[in-house]
Amino acid sequence: MSRIMKVARMQLINKWTFIGIPLIVLAGSFLFTLAVWYLVRRGGGEGTLYGGGAQAPMWYFLALGIQALTLTFPFAMAMSVSRRSFYLGTLALFGGCAMVLAVFYYLMGLLEEATGGWGVDGRFFALQWIAENNWLTQILFYFMLTVLLFMVGFYAATLYMRWRTTGVLVFTIGLGLALLGTVALITLTESWPEVGRWLAGWTAAGVTALGAGLAVLLAGSSYLTLRKATI
Amino acid sequence: MSETPAITTRDLAKTYKDVRALDGVSLNLAPNRIYGLLGRNGAGKTTLMSILTGQNFADRGTAEIFGHTPFEHDPTLARLCFIRESQKYPDDFKVRQAFSAAAIFFENWNEQLAQDLVKAFNLPLNRRIKKLSRGQLSAVGVIIGMASRAEITFFDEPYLGLDAVARQIFYDRLVEDFAQHPRTIVLSSHLIDEVANLLEHVIVIDQGRIIIDSEAEDLQGAAVTVTGSAQKVEEFIAGYPVIHRDALGSLASISIRARLTAEQRARAQILGLELSPVSLQQLVVRSTLSSQSDREQTTERQAIK
Amino acid sequence: MIDDSKPIFMQISELIENDIISGTLPEESQVPSTNEFAAFYRINPATAAKGINRLVEEGLLYKKRGIGMFVAQGAPAKLRSSRREHFAKQFVTPLTAEAAKLGIEMDELIAMIKSTSAG
Repeated sequence: MSRIMKVARMQLINKWTFIGIPLIVLAGSFLFTLAVWYLVRRGGGEGTLYGGGAQAPMWYFLALGIQALTLTFPFAMAMSVSRRSFYLGTLALFGGCAMVLAVFYYLMGLLEEATGGWGVDGRFFALQWIAENNWLTQILFYFMLTVLLFMVGFYAATLYMRWRTTGVLVFTIGLGLALLGTVALITLTESWPEVGRWLAGWTAAGVTALGAGLAVLLAGSSYLTLRKATI
Repeated sequence: MSETPAITTRDLAKTYKDVRALDGVSLNLAPNRIYGLLGRNGAGKTTLMSILTGQNFADRGTAEIFGHTPFEHDPTLARLCFIRESQKYPDDFKVRQAFSAAAIFFENWNEQLAQDLVKAFNLPLNRRIKKLSRGQLSAVGVIIGMASRAEITFFDEPYLGLDAVARQIFYDRLVEDFAQHPRTIVLSSHLIDEVANLLEHVIVIDQGRIIIDSEAEDLQGAAVTVTGSAQKVEEFIAGYPVIHRDALGSLASISIRARLTAEQRARAQILGLELSPVSLQQLVVRSTLSSQSDREQTTERQAIK
Repeated sequence: MIDDSKPIFMQISELIENDIISGTLPEESQVPSTNEFAAFYRINPATAAKGINRLVEEGLLYKKRGIGMFVAQGAPAKLRSSRREHFAKQFVTPLTAEAAKLGIEMDELIAMIKSTSAG
């Protein structure tokens, strides 16, 4: 068995972390949303109900991305694993988990539509903007989102491993300045309406492609950063 | 020797900001022996071992394990085991899970040995690692290092927090297992007397420099402390390299590097001088002190006065 | 036991030599193995082996393949004669030196030795 696969196996030693907790987070937020919807209907609320709780497990992946690095990386080094094997093994495992999650979302979305929004016309999984696309786009969208969030966490953590607090600080401040600059630019040129139109023009496929590109960029940079990281 | 050295370094250097962790370290370690890597805290021991295991990088020089650069080289890394003194474990890991992970990665992992050691150290397998005491944490590292039976195993101050009994268990098991399964062991320590008898070769590092690199047997009995009236002591030690001087009134106690013959010992007795062996620990301490710069030494003496 | 006065392998050979001279290890008896020595004295097995091999080279021990090390015929006698040679240097010289320091006359010293060995 290659050391890359061994890394994935090591990450899975504590099955709760990768499988149990995301499922609980998802089930919890789903049941909670259902309960709220039920109460809203009882109280006479009308129209389609939306719940954003489906994102919860994805945000958990961001935290996992950080944890996989800060704690598991030093341990993997002690297990005599190269940075490359650690990186590939961890990414492969997360990729697999993200794919499972994406397919699961898609299937739940189908179920949601078939049951008329769980009997209360609620939208938890099949948010319209996504659900109106074909199956492949839907699955890829969920997959991309999960991987992207994981990569954000992972990348922030690699910055930390390599340059400690300074690295994270410089990165965050830099990102903040860039965002502020963009906002300022748009405001000063009074181009908000155009930006609004431009944003509305994005299709799910387009967002998926953009997000995937970003995730690949983060993956590449985190590898280059990790290669020279010490513990 | 024609066999490939286990570890070779040439002119390794590493600087952290303003601290010189390693400064021109060149070493040659033969396989299947027990090496002691001795020195004070912060002398550069951990940095050296991190570079040898590809966990860190040198600014200058080369390090090779069985003829290969270890950095990012999985086949070479797979032959090594280095659990650091401040080893981190995944937050959610229980002791049992750390061993399961080690069993995945170390091809020579011996589960029976691991279990025996768990019993000997009285380690709670189902407790989370972050809840362990310092001694128990050290025990986890020791067990992984021993049971990995890696071709080159590094022990980094493995006894921190372990009581005298547990340390003895470690040394006993190490001798026992090494006898059955010879491999290269690098034992980093500043508790020198405890490990002195286990070592075949001694490397002493101070402020990033190697100040002793000799066979243990060349160091045992290689120095002697001569005590007696100052004048007679001076007379006796004339011509030998002095490693330490102490004086109390007209009494002097001077350690010299020398292997005395029976005649010399008899002569010492005639002069009324007392001879006492210098332990490895004392030898290292003295050598470390004398390797520091003259200026520092002067300051130290003034401070004592 | 092991101390810091000289290399450990020499101390191991001397321990075995002492046992041979005192009869604790008679001729043709088996000597503990390298690993037994290592475990007992908590020393490196290679060091113990070196101490034992030194005695093999001197013909005091011999190896039975697959069984272990044994005390050679004539080993005690051989050891005694070589120790006699060193006796003067090791014991008599310091003795006389100390006696001279304390002002003990030669006759007095001899009398002391006689009375000690009689008692």
